[in-house]
Amino acid sequence: MSGIAKKMDTKLPERFKPVIDYQSCRTCKRCVNECSFQALDFRDNRVVPIGGCVACGRCLAVCPVSCIEIRTVPSQFPPHGNWTERMRRAIYAQANSGGVLLSSCGTDVEHPVIFDDLLLDAAQVTNPSIDPLREPVETVTLLGGRPGRLQVSEGEMLRMKGCGNPLVVMDMPLMIGHVSLGSVSYNTQKAFFMAAKELNIVAGSGEGGLHHDFYQYADHICAEVASGRFGVDPQYLKGMAAVEIKIGQGAKPGHGGHLPGEKVTPLISETRMIPVGTDALSPYPHHDIYSIEDLAQLISVLKESVEYSMPVGVKIAAVHNIAAIASGVVRAGADFITIDGFKGGTGSSMRVIRDHAGMPVEVAVAVVDKRLTEEGLRNRVTVCAGGGIRCSADMIKVLALGADVAMVSTAAMVAVGCRVCQQCHRGLCSWGIATQREDLVQRLDPEVGAARIVHLFNAWNEELREVLGAMGIDSVESLVGNRDRLRYQGPNPKIAEIMGVKHVGEGWG
Amino acid sequence: MSHANAAQPLPQPSQVYLAQRPPGLKYMMGGCGIAGCISLDGRLIAGDRIRAMLTIMEERENGLGAGYACYGLFPSRKDQYCLQFFFDDEKAKERAEGMMRFNLDILHDEKVYHHPVADLRPPYPIIWRYFANVLPKSLKSEGPKKGEEDVVIDLVMQINLEVDGAMCISSGKDMAVFKGNGFSYQMADFYDIPRYKGTMWISHSRFPTNSPAWWAGAHPLSILDWGVCHNGEITSYGVNRKLVEMSGYKCTVLTDTEVVAYIWDLLVRKHGLPIQAAAFAMAPWTYDEISRLDPESRKLATWLRFTYREAFLNGPFSILVGRSQPEVTLIALADRKKLRPMIVGQSPDGGIAYCASEECAIRLVEPDAETWATNAGSPMIAKVGKGILRTGTEHPFQGVRL
Repeated sequence: MSGIAKKMDTKLPERFKPVIDYQSCRTCKRCVNECSFQALDFRDNRVVPIGGCVACGRCLAVCPVSCIEIRTVPSQFPPHGNWTERMRRAIYAQANSGGVLLSSCGTDVEHPVIFDDLLLDAAQVTNPSIDPLREPVETVTLLGGRPGRLQVSEGEMLRMKGCGNPLVVMDMPLMIGHVSLGSVSYNTQKAFFMAAKELNIVAGSGEGGLHHDFYQYADHICAEVASGRFGVDPQYLKGMAAVEIKIGQGAKPGHGGHLPGEKVTPLISETRMIPVGTDALSPYPHHDIYSIEDLAQLISVLKESVEYSMPVGVKIAAVHNIAAIASGVVRAGADFITIDGFKGGTGSSMRVIRDHAGMPVEVAVAVVDKRLTEEGLRNRVTVCAGGGIRCSADMIKVLALGADVAMVSTAAMVAVGCRVCQQCHRGLCSWGIATQREDLVQRLDPEVGAARIVHLFNAWNEELREVLGAMGIDSVESLVGNRDRLRYQGPNPKIAEIMGVKHVGEGWG
Repeated sequence: MSHANAAQPLPQPSQVYLAQRPPGLKYMMGGCGIAGCISLDGRLIAGDRIRAMLTIMEERENGLGAGYACYGLFPSRKDQYCLQFFFDDEKAKERAEGMMRFNLDILHDEKVYHHPVADLRPPYPIIWRYFANVLPKSLKSEGPKKGEEDVVIDLVMQINLEVDGAMCISSGKDMAVFKGNGFSYQMADFYDIPRYKGTMWISHSRFPTNSPAWWAGAHPLSILDWGVCHNGEITSYGVNRKLVEMSGYKCTVLTDTEVVAYIWDLLVRKHGLPIQAAAFAMAPWTYDEISRLDPESRKLATWLRFTYREAFLNGPFSILVGRSQPEVTLIALADRKKLRPMIVGQSPDGGIAYCASEECAIRLVEPDAETWATNAGSPMIAKVGKGILRTGTEHPFQGVRL
């Protein structure tokens, strides 16, 4: 069989080719040493590409004389509008291996981007715009269960009756999404947590437990409880900012996590509490949740476990019936819900699911917000949303569509060096992000990474304040779900109708 | 025409709407003038005083709506609901009356006095007033327990939504709204406002930027005994509307002011918040300011903001809010940055309190009044017979003398 297998392999043309300017090259070989994909070699006194380049760009970054250029190899396939190169490559790959195709990062299929079809409003004449450099424009965001009404006692001074639910106070409506230790390196997670603390926001732990070094950041971490329950023990749950039950992930709705055994190093093993070298496969469903009432039980078990000291939320992937599911999740007692759109990232996912299952976060948030409002539940819960948020404009739009908090992971990874080459599942990340190979992990300095995320998020938050000011809104909560401040100018007004957004050209009245 | 800016009168809208909501209307906005006065010692205030206050601020209106609300107006019927309607025709009136009889015991009904005014173009709506009690049978519902007020609110919203050409303009006890499409002086003449005497008045003149000429869309907007006159544009309307719709209110007039009225009803009547707490939810301090409060106040402030996030009225506004239950009360509130004006005054004998967009409105009727400005987001609260409970310059959570 193996002999046949060898004969069966179809050699495919390269997609990228590093081209070296030999006039400038000093033959320092740094590029060869840094290329974790082994696409470069040093032969006959010169650097030569030997295939397998993924355009991660590491060689460009380390070349002291900038003599490398990565060229996209023009398609070597006879052109065909229907049988695209992508389709044919997938067929060859599966005919070679007989396996399920894996990929990583968010889907690279060119689905329509609804964010880009939405335009923001601004104030003119009848309401004054606000200059955030001169006047307060607030972005403080509170995360937690909301009581719906408050009881206040009168007397010399008004006082609140009761103590209120646990709350997380964040300085901006942004959180770093759940990226597990295992899918990314220790240094990457450290950079995320350091940034979250510095920014006074929350970062997700991911489903891989929490390394003991990271408990110092616990009050800025949202601890994830996923179907594999990796690393979940009493310490893991206490002292955190929040706890989140992960039902689904946008990049792979209906699937559990998959961490290949090669990435389960001693460090991952001790954090996840699984043997070294074993595949960490979290089950597709939680095996104790087969219906909504089971979810309600797990929520109350977690609330009891943490003695009601922190909000307990639920993350669900954006699927077609998301509005009804979200309503059920709120009724089951979730203090916050996180909606993960289908363009969200992943360290490893089946391509068929990543590219084809789920729905865009824009629509998901809008229909959830609408449904929760109709059912009188919207003021009982905080809504977080992510999966495809690329810039501050996307963040602003997702807030206006109904999310209290925008969840961002890929952008944070790009900030620390990721080039979105979609090779995370191979564990060879040349930037030290999606890898456990010690020599590669060392390439990422957590302090530098954290500083870059702090820069990025501060810049986005500043842009948010500028947009709020332009709209005449001086606090971000008045943007949340304020669809009146959006207009749609895309090709499909039906989407606008479903989202409850007016078409461009339609005024207030 | 006495309008200062109208050297060459601007064309007025060709179509005037009365009770019927203008087709396609989704939202109305505009700038405005507001004025109010309240008797602190219980004496009656005649309508010519509020007419003078409002009409002097003539730069604040453009003839597309004005109105007055009078409280303490019907001492002999003060325990009955007074429902006033605009009807486009008799058919709408009959349908609305049919719906009213299902829930209400109508004790008396009458035409609301008005007469043609030379420069106010017809058509005028049919303007009718009903005094009624809630029928005991309508308190029994299959759903959650209903109070009399809920029956009235549900009825009013049902008529407004379902009966073409009918719009309820006020529905509270011991109060009535007089409003329409025109300048403030025209409305005062049309209803002969000086003929009325009450313990409190609030009033409003409009400078709408985009809304049609619509009688029912003028201020004060009222639900139950709540009356709201509002100068401003609320940039958070989409959010505020969600809160009231979540709580069962139906938006029928489609202005931010309508939503403000419902929010007051929800927070104060239904949720039982003290007025200062409700005002704080609508015009909260910044988190930075809140961090400097004492721990207990900080907790209340944070939870008011978090719980009533959708009640936060963002953008510039100043509002006058009146209610008659349990006692006639005037609330004057400006937004948290004080982007719209609000000035408060008291007569030298201490018997009357005034609020207005401009000081001239107060000086005209009370030249020696003591005047002051309220703090941003801090409500002035006054009650008939009790005096000024809050000047609008206190700590946000300071209790009031009761």
